[in-house]
Amino acid sequence: MPLMTPSIGSQLVDLGSALLLLTCFAIVAQRRLSACVDLFALQSVFLALTATLVAFLTGIHHIYIAAALTIVIKAIVIPRILKKVIERLNVSRELVMHINVPASLLICGVLVMIAFLITQPIISFGHLLTRDSLAIALAIVLIGFFTMIARQKAVTQMIAFLVMENGLFLGAIAATYGMPLVVELGVFFDVLVAALIAGIYTNRLQDAFDSVDTAHLSELKE
Amino acid sequence: MLNLLWILLGGYVAGILLPLCFPRQPNAQIITTTTPAIVATSAGVVLGLLGLTSSEPVTGSLASTIPLLTFAIRIDPLAAFFVLTISLAGLAASIYAIGYMQHFDGRASLPMLGALFNGFLLSMTLVVLADNGFFFLMVWELMSLLSYFLVVTEHEKAEVRYAGLFYLIMTHVGTAFILLTFIIFFQAGGSFAFDTFRHPEQPLPESMKTIAFLLALVGFGTKAGIVPLHVWLPYAHPAAPSHISALMSGVMIKTAIYALIRVYFDFLGGQFPWWWGFVVLVIGAVSALLGVMYALMEHDLKSLLAYHSVENIGIILLGIGAGMIFQTYGFKEFAALGLLAGLYHTINHAMFKALLFLGAGSLLYAMHTRNMEEYGGLLRRMPWTGACFLIGSVSIVALPPTNGFVSEWLVFQSLFLSFHIPDTFLKLMLPLAAAMLALTGALALACFAKAFGISFLALPRSTHARHAREVPIPMRIGMALLATVCVVLGLGPMVVVPLLDRVVAPFTGVSIEGQVLALDGWALATMDMEFSSLSPPVLALLLGGLAVLGLGIVAAFGGFVKRRYYKTWGCGINLTPRMEYSATGFVQPIKRVFSSIYQPTVKLETEFLHESQYFAKRRRFEFHVEPVFQKYLYDPVLAFVAALAGRLRVIQAGSLHLYLTYIFVTLIVLLLFAV
Repeated sequence: MPLMTPSIGSQLVDLGSALLLLTCFAIVAQRRLSACVDLFALQSVFLALTATLVAFLTGIHHIYIAAALTIVIKAIVIPRILKKVIERLNVSRELVMHINVPASLLICGVLVMIAFLITQPIISFGHLLTRDSLAIALAIVLIGFFTMIARQKAVTQMIAFLVMENGLFLGAIAATYGMPLVVELGVFFDVLVAALIAGIYTNRLQDAFDSVDTAHLSELKE
Repeated sequence: MLNLLWILLGGYVAGILLPLCFPRQPNAQIITTTTPAIVATSAGVVLGLLGLTSSEPVTGSLASTIPLLTFAIRIDPLAAFFVLTISLAGLAASIYAIGYMQHFDGRASLPMLGALFNGFLLSMTLVVLADNGFFFLMVWELMSLLSYFLVVTEHEKAEVRYAGLFYLIMTHVGTAFILLTFIIFFQAGGSFAFDTFRHPEQPLPESMKTIAFLLALVGFGTKAGIVPLHVWLPYAHPAAPSHISALMSGVMIKTAIYALIRVYFDFLGGQFPWWWGFVVLVIGAVSALLGVMYALMEHDLKSLLAYHSVENIGIILLGIGAGMIFQTYGFKEFAALGLLAGLYHTINHAMFKALLFLGAGSLLYAMHTRNMEEYGGLLRRMPWTGACFLIGSVSIVALPPTNGFVSEWLVFQSLFLSFHIPDTFLKLMLPLAAAMLALTGALALACFAKAFGISFLALPRSTHARHAREVPIPMRIGMALLATVCVVLGLGPMVVVPLLDRVVAPFTGVSIEGQVLALDGWALATMDMEFSSLSPPVLALLLGGLAVLGLGIVAAFGGFVKRRYYKTWGCGINLTPRMEYSATGFVQPIKRVFSSIYQPTVKLETEFLHESQYFAKRRRFEFHVEPVFQKYLYDPVLAFVAALAGRLRVIQAGSLHLYLTYIFVTLIVLLLFAV
């Protein structure tokens, strides 16, 4: 603990969170799917680093385990699954977008502002050194959600979903220094299963419509 | 007594689980699902009798982790009476099912049918035992859903699916009203325990009481099948397998009667303005009359019986409504009599309606059709079924010495006692209700003369009927059991009335056992012997004596008459089934008389021979009764809902992105609101 004062620690946690947010914007701006996956892996690494930092500063050991799991599952396993799906589907780019990249980035900026606006009253009550990260966590969740709406390919939507999950994880650390380990393990497992299921679903989508554009799903309506 | 309850629970659960151990062995499946049910229902019968005779209500409860919910049960005389009713009918249905379920081998999953059957009985038992509003709603909903799945057992038929959907929607509308009723009580007491419903911290204001009364009437009335909420009943009850129809029509609709008594006399403390009772009375009279009138026009035996359920619920409500009116004016003994009459008819109807449905099931089993026009001449081929069906018919049309007669007589008496009421309007209305009941009775007689006569007498009308065979023994035992109960309940009011008196006494505060039973229990009297009295056993003896006398005369003087066995004389032509009365023809006069109610449409097409217009080659006659309630009440509502749904369809575009956007916008808006 003598190594860093709490204020420096807090600043470092904020830095980690900011890097997470930055990768979010990068994902929104990126058209190439494989690059999106890489950015997601990078974001997960940042998340793990931030979590490790928090664990180090607070001395809560189980966050280390969560951080390690983040590296293994979100930075290694899931990106591999996603890469395989992309390879098999032979789609490399998000060609048609509901909302183009500049407009998306602007909207994401607005979402960040909304997130800060919403969390302001809560943060002022907080006393944890991670409290500022809460706003960023919410912003990441909102951006993830927005990306799901704005992009058409199922793969991108999967990535966006995983980004949301990262945001939630950061939020949990920011608000309460992480959830109990059992819950976290459960969540990791869920995310892994969700990624697998979404992978299969994307393959089926390709088989059914010769495309992974989820807009085709509206054809299923009567 | 709680030990018995565990046996009951264990039996039903075993009946649900055991058949799963025997895949692909239909006989083992049937035995393992019906035997536990027989054990459980027998335990239920004993439990009901013990509960009726015990001095203090027995309670028990299990806590749950869900807030506001405790699995609390309470066995007071009212609950015990309904447990007895449910278990008796359930026992007969379980025995009957041993034979009847073979009918479904290969057409439906037997373990599923057995499990639903057991679960249905269990949920009905728990409905009447529940002592917590939340728990009650849970088991009530369970009962509705299980019976829905039972209704759609033969889901490959389109009309069965329609009946199921209709039932599902109606029962959920009813549950919504029940939920609102309970929420009103919950608001006053802050807990779902029935004890706080009874004694809330601050008493409910009058306006809330009135709302609770109306909500409960609509909610439970939907399940009971009161007019005009009865429309689902003639579709859903016949669609289910017959032993289930017997339970649905005989017992399930009675849980609504239980709940109405529980709410009005227990929770609301039996304090109500006169018009509450009057509303119940009017609904009862209208249900009774319209129920039997529509029943007359049915040629599908099971639909006919289902309409009769509407009629009998009406008769029960006549008794209860009269009781409520007397309660308002402080005539406690008369109130007790009305309530007692209603409850007596409840168990009677449960028995004879279950019996009749089992009888209809036997005919269906033997002939694979429910259309009465294809029956005929069955008494000779199926004597057991015929005899049981006859006893059921005699009971339902209230002829001595069966049970229907005693309870309907009591209902009449409680209506006639209205001359004590100071209000002139009611003084006029109650005898009017009695007149409607009398008309109902006459029409019911016509209806069952038709149902029994067309089905069992004369010549077979189809090859099915010609080759009909008597049903397996378990089915006969099930019917015979109920037939016996019908006769016993009719001959033994001196046993039944004291038990019912224990049920009614807590709600009216007086015991009327001494006033209803006279001559050491061998006669029934209403209040005093001078007003009216009746002795069912003596009546039965007289009837028996008359029969013996008649036979005796025949035996004494018959010797002089020369006997000759020959075909019935048919004016020189050989008799054929086509000369018989058809079911449609039989009710033609009644249809004419009440044509303003039926609004019938008749279509007659005649195809003539080419050579001459004077010779008809073929005639086609179609006749439909206008479904008035469906056309003028339900169709507009349905059309409105469908139109609304059509409008709402715009936002249901089927696009994933659109749905995500909805969620996203809602999330943002809610978050911004929170700031």
